[in-house]
Amino acid sequence: MDIQQYIESGMLEQYVLGTLTVREQQEVEQLANEFPAVQAEISRIQQDLDAYAAAHAATPPAGMRERVLAGWQQAVRASEGNTQPAAPRMVASEPAPSVAPEAVVRSIDSAPSSGRKFGWLVAAAVALLTLSALGNYLLYNRLKETETNLQVAHTEQTRYAATEQAALKERDERTRQLEILRSEQFRAVDLKGTPKAPDALARVYYNAATRAVYVDVRHLPALPKGKQYQLWAMDKGQPVDAGVLTAAATAGDTLQQMKDIASAQAFALTVENEGGSPTPTLSTLTVIGNI
Amino acid sequence: MTSKTSGVDAITEEQLVARLRARDEAAMTIFYDKYGTALYGVIARIVKKEEVAEDVLQESLVKIWHSFLSYDTSKGRLFTWVLNICRNLAIDKIRSRQYRVGTRTQPLEDSAAQWQAAPSSFKPEHIGLEEVTRQLNPEQKQIIDLLYFGGYTQSEVAEELELPLGTVKTRARAAIKVLAKLIR
Repeated sequence: MDIQQYIESGMLEQYVLGTLTVREQQEVEQLANEFPAVQAEISRIQQDLDAYAAAHAATPPAGMRERVLAGWQQAVRASEGNTQPAAPRMVASEPAPSVAPEAVVRSIDSAPSSGRKFGWLVAAAVALLTLSALGNYLLYNRLKETETNLQVAHTEQTRYAATEQAALKERDERTRQLEILRSEQFRAVDLKGTPKAPDALARVYYNAATRAVYVDVRHLPALPKGKQYQLWAMDKGQPVDAGVLTAAATAGDTLQQMKDIASAQAFALTVENEGGSPTPTLSTLTVIGNI
Repeated sequence: MTSKTSGVDAITEEQLVARLRARDEAAMTIFYDKYGTALYGVIARIVKKEEVAEDVLQESLVKIWHSFLSYDTSKGRLFTWVLNICRNLAIDKIRSRQYRVGTRTQPLEDSAAQWQAAPSSFKPEHIGLEEVTRQLNPEQKQIIDLLYFGGYTQSEVAEELELPLGTVKTRARAAIKVLAKLIR
């Protein structure tokens, strides 16, 4: 190898600048051991760069000397006996032969370091416990909230169930009524308003075979308190009681089945006292219609 | 290897090394007075923030103390060795904090890099920064600063300055030659 050429290659500058890989560094160090010229060049470059660095000396902030030295002392005391940090890369070699024998690593310091570790564990445990308590509190609150919500949902569901049941019942009733209206066995009898109540209108469905009678109110004048409409079947000129109308039937909300009638030629509604009357009050005749 | 003594500390480098090796804590104060401002200047040049530089200097002292037994006098002077420790810690710092993201493309002379040369108790070759700056041409200075203070490798410098690697090597060597002339 041409040593002069090697010296001028720029490799040694890189070595001193610390920009070489570990393997390249070892190479340079090996050559420096072998060739004094290489070693001398390295020393020169080091000196040059040291001077360059020293030229950058700067005025430190006030009080820095005391702070840094105190901080250094504290750090050294705190880590006394701990594993020593690795050597910097430029001198990453075996320790100098002049190592003082009393300077070997002391092993008695496992206690403070494990004590510190224990301290960390305690701190971690306390932190975890606090977190856990906080978590439990939050979860408990959420549980309470959920229970309340569930109760509300139950109430709601019960209400819906009741509504649905009522709706189903009503539907069944309507279906039954619809069957009557569609049945050919029933005869529809329109009852028209008398001069006293010209707007009044009702209809009776009469099945002569089964004797069934239904009344379907379209419109009737409002009743005075304590009065009810009563249906009469006129058979050969004689009025036959067919029963009183419920409030729902009077309002026209539903068909109402009345008492069975064996024979009739006409139907009429009169206003009677609540509960009905054995004979019709003719002066209150509201609607009437012939079959 | 000659040892230099300053006016303040009439103690040779060999004596200082011996006392540090003997774990003499008082020797650390002497060490600080001898090299402190120079080391601080280099660290500050790299990290560019006073308070960070102070932290790094303190970390460096701790590291120097702990790894002192691995200092090999045959490999170089004490200053060279401690300077490398400081440089490496400072460069680790700027890398770990990702200083580089923001500062990489800025000229090194920016911001806190404009350090006023201070009277140093350690002036081995008695050169000032102004003189150095005057003698080095800008390209040489840039390369040296990037390599020395920026913690860049030569290939990174080549990439950064868009120069062939060979040119970077030549310029670095030439720059150090100029420094040598200033010193001797």
